[in-house]
Amino acid sequence: MSKCVHCDEALVIPVYGDDDATRAHPFCCVGCLTVFQALYAKGLGEFYDIKERMGTLRKRRPIEERAQRYDFLDDSSFLEKYATTRANGSRSIEFYLEGVHCLACLWLVEKLPEYCPGVLKAKLDLERSVATVTLAPEGRFADCARELALLGYPPHPVKREDELRQLQRQEERATLMRIGVAGAAAGNVMLYAVSIYAGAQGGYATFFNFLTVLFGVPALTYSAWPFYQSAWFSLKNRVLSIDVPISLALLMGLTMGLYNAAIGVNENYFDSLSALVFLLLLSRYFLRRLQQRGLTPSDINFFHRQEGIERRKADGQFEQVHVDLLRQGDVIRVAPEEMLPVDGQVVEGVSHLNASLLTGEAAPVSIRSGEKVFAGTQNLEGTLLVSVESAAGKTRLGRILKSVEDGWASKAPIVTFTAQVSRYFTLSVFALSAVYGILNWSVLGPERTIETIIILLIVTCPCALALAIPLTFIRTLSLAAHRGLVIKSDEVVEKLARARTVFLDKTGTVTHGRVGITHLASLGLTRHLLTDVIWNLESTSRHPVGTALREYVRAARPSSLKVQDRQERPGHGVEGIIEGVHYRIHREKIWADGVEVANFSCEDRIRDDAPEAIRQLRALGLAPMLLSGDNRATVQNVAERIGLSNQEWKAEAMPEDKAAIVHAKSDTVMVGDGANDAVALGRAGVGIAVAGAMDISLRAADVYVTDPGLDAVTDLIEISRETMKVVRRNLVLSLLYNATSVVAVFTGHITPLIAAVIMPLSSLTVLLSSVWGTQKLRALWK
Amino acid sequence: MEVIEILLPLALILGALFVGAFLWSARNGQYDDLETPRHRLLLDDQPLMKKDDQ
Repeated sequence: MSKCVHCDEALVIPVYGDDDATRAHPFCCVGCLTVFQALYAKGLGEFYDIKERMGTLRKRRPIEERAQRYDFLDDSSFLEKYATTRANGSRSIEFYLEGVHCLACLWLVEKLPEYCPGVLKAKLDLERSVATVTLAPEGRFADCARELALLGYPPHPVKREDELRQLQRQEERATLMRIGVAGAAAGNVMLYAVSIYAGAQGGYATFFNFLTVLFGVPALTYSAWPFYQSAWFSLKNRVLSIDVPISLALLMGLTMGLYNAAIGVNENYFDSLSALVFLLLLSRYFLRRLQQRGLTPSDINFFHRQEGIERRKADGQFEQVHVDLLRQGDVIRVAPEEMLPVDGQVVEGVSHLNASLLTGEAAPVSIRSGEKVFAGTQNLEGTLLVSVESAAGKTRLGRILKSVEDGWASKAPIVTFTAQVSRYFTLSVFALSAVYGILNWSVLGPERTIETIIILLIVTCPCALALAIPLTFIRTLSLAAHRGLVIKSDEVVEKLARARTVFLDKTGTVTHGRVGITHLASLGLTRHLLTDVIWNLESTSRHPVGTALREYVRAARPSSLKVQDRQERPGHGVEGIIEGVHYRIHREKIWADGVEVANFSCEDRIRDDAPEAIRQLRALGLAPMLLSGDNRATVQNVAERIGLSNQEWKAEAMPEDKAAIVHAKSDTVMVGDGANDAVALGRAGVGIAVAGAMDISLRAADVYVTDPGLDAVTDLIEISRETMKVVRRNLVLSLLYNATSVVAVFTGHITPLIAAVIMPLSSLTVLLSSVWGTQKLRALWK
Repeated sequence: MEVIEILLPLALILGALFVGAFLWSARNGQYDDLETPRHRLLLDDQPLMKKDDQ
């Protein structure tokens, strides 16, 4: 099977171009072909060399051809909100780019100044898919946006960084600085500590010890500050988080080290402790970065597909504006195949809408003048003029998403494994210290006892545990992301491991969510002719049934035929003349010159892997349940066909009902697609969004699955359970090391050297344990 | 004089310089994007060929 030269999609019917360059290469569609030609015309053919050499970061998709309206980008009121101006007059805007997958894309985008006039600089952030384009004063953003779109990267402007984002950014930088200081300190302290262990004497020993204090203090104060803050905070809330014993160990170590230096004793635990601070800060930093990466930037307006909105001016002409600038009462024009960006009323036009984003129904809804329409629905075939009632956040969709985000605070929290462990751990350490103190107070004397207790507190620092847990989650989250399972946080993994009930939405999750052809029977035409007729008659159809028919016959490699007098009218099907015969496709029948020659049936087909997925869920000990807003008969049909009993489905459920059924228990999992399930996804213990619009789904859900299909759900559950196994194993390992240290303390054999050996050893062990995973995990990651 | 009396201060100064450089670059935002620079590294920085050169 050959691949499209541009997007690597496997080809069934290759498309070839006319000129020399494109004749020799197969493409999947005209979109990819056009981009190929554009690239070579600009002398950017190196793109394909780079693409060959390097791997891809994300899966490629074929290029979508779309209407490009970017004139609004140079409107002054728009620029005020979105552009940053510099002293020399240059302006820059951040654009979120669709379709960024790899190094070749990076190369192409950053070469923008060389083939787009007015552009001074283009810098792409591969992680966020955001390009910062800097323009000379005379340049026009519309031009560079068009260039980018032409090359296959439709750009969407991102709002200028607001105060909140700036604060977050400062905080991240501060964390990084703390890590740097801790790292430098740890390295240096170790250097001088080792010389003392190796037997440095006299003046040298005192000086080296002084140096360890010099480096150790910044590490245990400046760098360790976040631990102290967190421990204080948790103590105020009467919780013993894991930062409490850590902070205790660090503070004890600091005091003891300083005291010893003051009285001339060259002994401290700064080497172990600064290394600890460094490693802990580092692992938490990476975990936090990983958890942020899975989300689309929060400053992307959900309506990013509709920036170039055509608004009617007073003189009847249309101008392009950004959705932010729409006001109530404005009249906008919505072309076929566009998504409605606002809630409003139809002023003029007749069409069908695809409201699946809001209602979950795949069947098109007819719409005419005077009726209300909502943001998020897709206009199908007719042009509509809509009077704006509310836009962006105030639309029904916007409010749903907002309520989901607000409702998040009421999502049932779990006591994480870490929290449980740290509680018992801290109490045990205190108990041990008390026991030791009581036993030895009279025997050893107060000074020695206190010193030993302090050392006890230091060496029982749960460093391996505190390190191991984030590491395990980092590994799981990043591997999952590579597989297309975007998990928002480590807590989600824990909840998934404890899940008991799985609620499944019907449309789009268990079914394909699109109309699919279930059978096509010919009553007189040859199969070949039938497929040709369908292919060509529905070639430009935007009706779901039309596109479904086209998809159905695609594999039979139909040939191109000329269609005359093609007409497609809402409610009347599609008709046209092919080779002298008048064909009509309407209401699941196909007519030739008035005679019925074929019929077909279409429905929202159940996914092939659905019954198997249900079986697997049961095998894992979970209780599956089907939830849908559709009517009883349909839902019952689907439920039975995938293997659910009568108690295990519920029909005609409104979004609010779904949310109530899913209820706020932490062991429930809800699987749905995006907006129409948003409230339920937000309310469930874990909300899993399966395909659908990514930015909407991610706002509502805890996990986003990029590939459609239900086996991802069972995989997620298994992955989570296995991850928790590794976490528990790491706990045992770190406790073993802690126990060894305690024994060393109680038998009087503890020294900084021993602690300095045990700590890295324990950290290394848990690190290896996390990387090694479990047998099942290794199999899952294959 | 032991050589360490020269080396030690030198090492400390050097270390301080590097830490200072790191702190400066972190504050300057050079670590905000950790993903892209490692890919950008692999690209040659050649100017584009003009159409007639192909």
